[in-house]
Amino acid sequence: MASATMSSALKKPETTSFIILVLVVIGFTLANDRFLSPLNISNLLAFMPELGIIALGMTLLLTAGEFDLSVGAVFAFTPVSTMLLVQNGGVGLELALIIAFAATFCIGALNGILVTKIGISSFLVTLSMLLIVRGASLFLTQGFPLKSWDEESWIRTILAGSFYVGGIRIYASLIWFGLLSLFALYVLNVAKVGNWITAIGSNRNAAVARGVPADKVKIWLFIATSMLAGLAGVISSLRISSASPVAGSQYELEVIAMVVVGGTALTGGRGTIIGTIIGVLMLRIIRNGIVLVGVPGLAFNIFVGVIILAMLVLHAKLHKSSERK
Amino acid sequence: MGHVMKLEGIEKNFGSIKALQGVDLEVREGEVLALLGDNGAGKSTLIKTISGIYPIDGGQITVDGKAAQINSPKDAMNLGIETIHQDTSLAPDLSIARNLFLGREPVTIPALGVFAPLDLTRLKEEAAKLLKRVGISKNLDADAPVASLSGGERQSIAISRAMQFFAKLIILDEPTNNLGVEETNGVLKFIREVREAGHSVIYITHNIHHVMNVADRAVVMRQGRIVADLMIKDTDLLSLEAIIMGAEPEELAAEMRGKAH
Ligand SMILES: Nc1ncnc2c1ncn2[C@@H]1O[C@H](COP(=O)(O)OP(=O)(O)OP(=O)(O)O)[C@@H](O)[C@H]1O
Ligand SMILES: [Mg+2]
Repeated sequence: MASATMSSALKKPETTSFIILVLVVIGFTLANDRFLSPLNISNLLAFMPELGIIALGMTLLLTAGEFDLSVGAVFAFTPVSTMLLVQNGGVGLELALIIAFAATFCIGALNGILVTKIGISSFLVTLSMLLIVRGASLFLTQGFPLKSWDEESWIRTILAGSFYVGGIRIYASLIWFGLLSLFALYVLNVAKVGNWITAIGSNRNAAVARGVPADKVKIWLFIATSMLAGLAGVISSLRISSASPVAGSQYELEVIAMVVVGGTALTGGRGTIIGTIIGVLMLRIIRNGIVLVGVPGLAFNIFVGVIILAMLVLHAKLHKSSERK
Repeated sequence: MGHVMKLEGIEKNFGSIKALQGVDLEVREGEVLALLGDNGAGKSTLIKTISGIYPIDGGQITVDGKAAQINSPKDAMNLGIETIHQDTSLAPDLSIARNLFLGREPVTIPALGVFAPLDLTRLKEEAAKLLKRVGISKNLDADAPVASLSGGERQSIAISRAMQFFAKLIILDEPTNNLGVEETNGVLKFIREVREAGHSVIYITHNIHHVMNVADRAVVMRQGRIVADLMIKDTDLLSLEAIIMGAEPEELAAEMRGKAH
């Protein structure tokens, strides 16, 4: 019985990802003792939650069988439009955020409506949206980064404040990432709507035939993903005190890589939040560790690409062995 | 005997294709109605309109003597109509238990709406009970993903799902496709049991032996129309086959009368 539980746990994609994560951490620690230094861990933890927050939305969306390429553009758009409203519109920070997030909501809703009601693939819809949204940020700022909010504000404290735990600097974003992860975990595995999300990605017609409102669920997932990307962008701009129209370039690919490395299927039906958290950690740690062990900068992406591919091969093999056709 | 459902003048077009052209049909209480016809005759389309997948373009549906608006699968389910479709029925990545309750999940805090937590213990218990009731021979784990089941096992799961909500009308679209002999007999046995329990069944199949075996009445469709409606006890296998293949029921009847003289 114990061995059966063991082998079924081993078959779970997140277990494999976790084992590899541990191996990666051990490897980097042996290669360079600065890897586990408080400074390096602080660096890792500063940046990781911002991509992680987007990855949570992307995981749910991928589980339902869709994806969103516009998240990187939204990551820049939300803080840029907030700061434009504050600096040129004379609006307070709170109101500016509300307006910017309302616009972000509309971007997600538009993605969802075009995909579900018009029937265009999410690849094409969100690729176009990427161009439109990124273009809007560039045009509105004329390409120049804006100074972000650097005065004291309760919003800045709760979104980008930080404190020290034993020499390691912890940003508020880590706590947000933790809370949102718990919520996403609950939604996907325990809530009624999580059952629907998996069913839609697994066999949409079957779900619809059981009365699941597939289009509505997908539209809300697109909205959630946009809102999370906007939130991540605002957190980032408050942390580095700058809102740049080119922030978040290629984050869409980085985030999708994190999600699939964690074991979520690009084809829908199989999603894991735990896997995504592991995937987020893994990609950040690999990027950070590769620099520390002295891989030349230009060769960097070769390593990242090879590692991602290797992970995907592993997941595909494991999945095949547990399913019959 | 009363009828559970009555269709009058049902029309359905796909662009220029007239898939259903004025279908009239009555489903009586506690009967097994075989819906027959060649490929593309419109059988699946007809039952998809009844089960809320396709909105009708014309006609009138009456359920339990009341005019019914069936605009979504949910509407059909609420009217007591459960359907097992030919092409799709289960989500392979969900567990057996989660599939059984898909769309009708038991939850513990309903006030939370779609975010309400599933009642996982009840889900599992009910699923285990149900699997026992449909008599699936093997010991299936309610937590196993449907992707790991055989075609026959999957079909049994879909059928047990239709049974669980005590639907008035259960529709089976070619449920024995891809099934082995034993599993097919299981499905036929299930159809008889459902009738004995007082439910009505619409059974779509291309196998006339099965029809003679379990059905009370046969309705034959051709090019979106109903061309014959006969009691099984008044017909035989060869005439039924001839009608499906294109013979006119009236000619056939005349021929039979000629032979009798
Ligand atoms: N979604 C659709 N779009 C366009 N045409 C359709 C659609 N569904 C069915 N049709 C057409 O309607 C007609 C009836 O199809 P239907 O699936 O109802 O046949 P059937 O009697 O179930 O056949 P089979 O025995 O092969 O399952 C066919 O000509 C088919 O091509
Ligand atoms: Mg059919």
